[in-house]
Amino acid sequence: MKKLFHEFLKGIIKENPTFVLALGLCPTLAVSISLMNGLGMGVAATFVLICSNIIIAMIKNTIPEKIRIPCYIVVIATFVTITELIMKAYSPALNRALGIYVPLIVVNCIVLGRAEAYASKNSVMNSLFDGIGMGVGFTLALLLISGIREFLGAGKLFGYTLIKGFEPAFVLAMPPGALLVIGLLLGFFNILKERK
Amino acid sequence: MNVAQFLTIFISAVFIYNVILSRFLGLCSFIAISKETRPAIAMSLAVIFVTTMSSIITWLIYRFLLIPFNLEYLRTISFILVIATFVQLVEMIIRKIAPPFYRFFGIYLPLITVNCAVLGVAVLNADMFFVKGEAIPGSFYYSVFQGVCVGLGYMLAMLLMSGIRERLDFCEVPKAVKEFPLAFVIAAIMSMAFMGFNGFRF
Amino acid sequence: MENKLTVSVSPHLHKNESVSKIMWLVGLSLLPSGIAGVLIFGTSALRVILLGIVSALFTEGILQILTKRKITIFDGSAFLTGLLLAYNLPAHVPFWIPIVGSGFAIAIGKQVFGGLGQNIFNPALVGRAFLMASWPRYIATFTTPLSYDAMTSATQDAVTSATPLALLKEGKILEHVSYLDLFLGRRGGCIGEVCIIALLIGAAFLLLRGYISWHIPGTYVLTVAVFTYIFAGENGLFTGDGIFHILSGGLILGAFFMATDYVSSPLTQKGQILFGIGCGLLTAIIRIWGGYPEGVSYAILMMNAATPIIDRFTKRRIYGK
Repeated sequence: MKKLFHEFLKGIIKENPTFVLALGLCPTLAVSISLMNGLGMGVAATFVLICSNIIIAMIKNTIPEKIRIPCYIVVIATFVTITELIMKAYSPALNRALGIYVPLIVVNCIVLGRAEAYASKNSVMNSLFDGIGMGVGFTLALLLISGIREFLGAGKLFGYTLIKGFEPAFVLAMPPGALLVIGLLLGFFNILKERK
Repeated sequence: MNVAQFLTIFISAVFIYNVILSRFLGLCSFIAISKETRPAIAMSLAVIFVTTMSSIITWLIYRFLLIPFNLEYLRTISFILVIATFVQLVEMIIRKIAPPFYRFFGIYLPLITVNCAVLGVAVLNADMFFVKGEAIPGSFYYSVFQGVCVGLGYMLAMLLMSGIRERLDFCEVPKAVKEFPLAFVIAAIMSMAFMGFNGFRF
Repeated sequence: MENKLTVSVSPHLHKNESVSKIMWLVGLSLLPSGIAGVLIFGTSALRVILLGIVSALFTEGILQILTKRKITIFDGSAFLTGLLLAYNLPAHVPFWIPIVGSGFAIAIGKQVFGGLGQNIFNPALVGRAFLMASWPRYIATFTTPLSYDAMTSATQDAVTSATPLALLKEGKILEHVSYLDLFLGRRGGCIGEVCIIALLIGAAFLLLRGYISWHIPGTYVLTVAVFTYIFAGENGLFTGDGIFHILSGGLILGAFFMATDYVSSPLTQKGQILFGIGCGLLTAIIRIWGGYPEGVSYAILMMNAATPIIDRFTKRRIYGK
């Protein structure tokens, strides 16, 4: 049990996919305009991550070594398609907001990276918790970035205006803002690491 | 189908919606390989080739296979498989018939399989140049041209960034922002500069 | 990498003059257009200029203390950044606009790269691009010159007007703006860009003393003139008003004072000519077909990004190689 908890925890801080492993940056930057979008993308990616981790851990001994990557991609793409269809049916607004970045979860390096680096070598249970941990870590990173961007770029959090009279810097809601925020955050974490 | 359309696609794909600086596709390779100019150029050429070819292939699949059989929901899975297979094939062919060429450019091909830019341009083409399951007039040419332009946009960002980062080797950059953080900040400034083309109308 | 030992970052100066002295002299050469700006737009222009400079110096000092570097706020470079940023703003912006802009310019445009001589982009333009993208409604509404207020005194509190370039973009006819008006600065616009004659006095000083060469500004201005003459006309090719495009917007300010920044422009003459032509083409393209009326700052920023590549391909051949 302790081991499983450890698998879960490492994804959040020590091996945070976004800030430590620098994986899956494309969707992180593109959709982190508002907390709602960030949460939506985080949950969708977590779902795909958990499911594909489980399946790949199950079939890891049956697939031939040489074509393992295409096999992983098929598994992942299946779950991405499921996510896409569910999202289209139940939350069309979110689906529109996330746009092409939903199908692009297929090529999100986190998902394929965990399949190759972890699920293909570990038990189903461990892979499940690894998936949850990585997913939660990814979601938290997304929430941090999108929180900063929504607050400074639109003056809101989850769509609610917080401070009256605050004039948001619109650029943070635009692509340059995403690059700037992640660059400065990475620099900030470097400073924290040095302090330690 | 006219020149203005193509020019608009060019300006938006290369500058306004630059694949890296605005759409953030292919960002991982952009940050990882833009440290020196030569590999950056080789990688960019590989990307241009693959985005163009995958635009052609996925358009054909979407138009003649998925739409007639109402299988649009298999778009993601079929596109990624076809692209992955195609890239694998090209890599094998190049390695066999042109080893020097392979060493310069081929080693970047496997990386491109999971490059979001390639799948991204295929999905974008399907979104932009098909309306309600019908190909718009000139759809195929637009798709291919957009594939080329997305690749060119990738190359432009890559070339500028690699030049800048080579120069930064001689600068005393603060330790905290060395490498990745600074690369993102530079990308942010470049992205702001490219915003000058916003609202372009020919 | 084999020549790493002999390479240093620009500015490469062989004269007996310090970087600091040049910075202050460039600042001095900008004085006439600053005075003209204050005369044209009133004391609010002076307020913007002062706030911009103070904020730049303050940010530079704070960051140098925090990063434990040598404090160099009096070397003139931060002063120049603040000054140029303020010159690129309209006179009636809220007080915090020049403060935030200068702070951003120094922090992100300069200190992140390691300070003086290492910045890839012109810091003042980084600040301006940030302000333009963040609060466009302040940066893109311009102050009407005081002399216009006197003429149309019925609208005393309506202090904003569009620049000639913006009017042109909206398809309005520019009957009341003559070349002389543009030359003297009797038009809407940013503080430091409007009075062409004052800018030219400063530019002449820099050119004669040899602090800047003709290569960048000359090719830049000429390219804009030729390109707009060919493509910007209402009645087909070769009917555009090149002189109007030279005199309006921030072209003169940008071409002589910002594109020529030693650090962020190419080193060789061939590179500088390429740089100037590139700036000119981009400026003209944005002016004619872009969404913004003015493209000078974006054009220079884009060419700044291309400078290392230009340098790489226009490097003088090493003797004997």
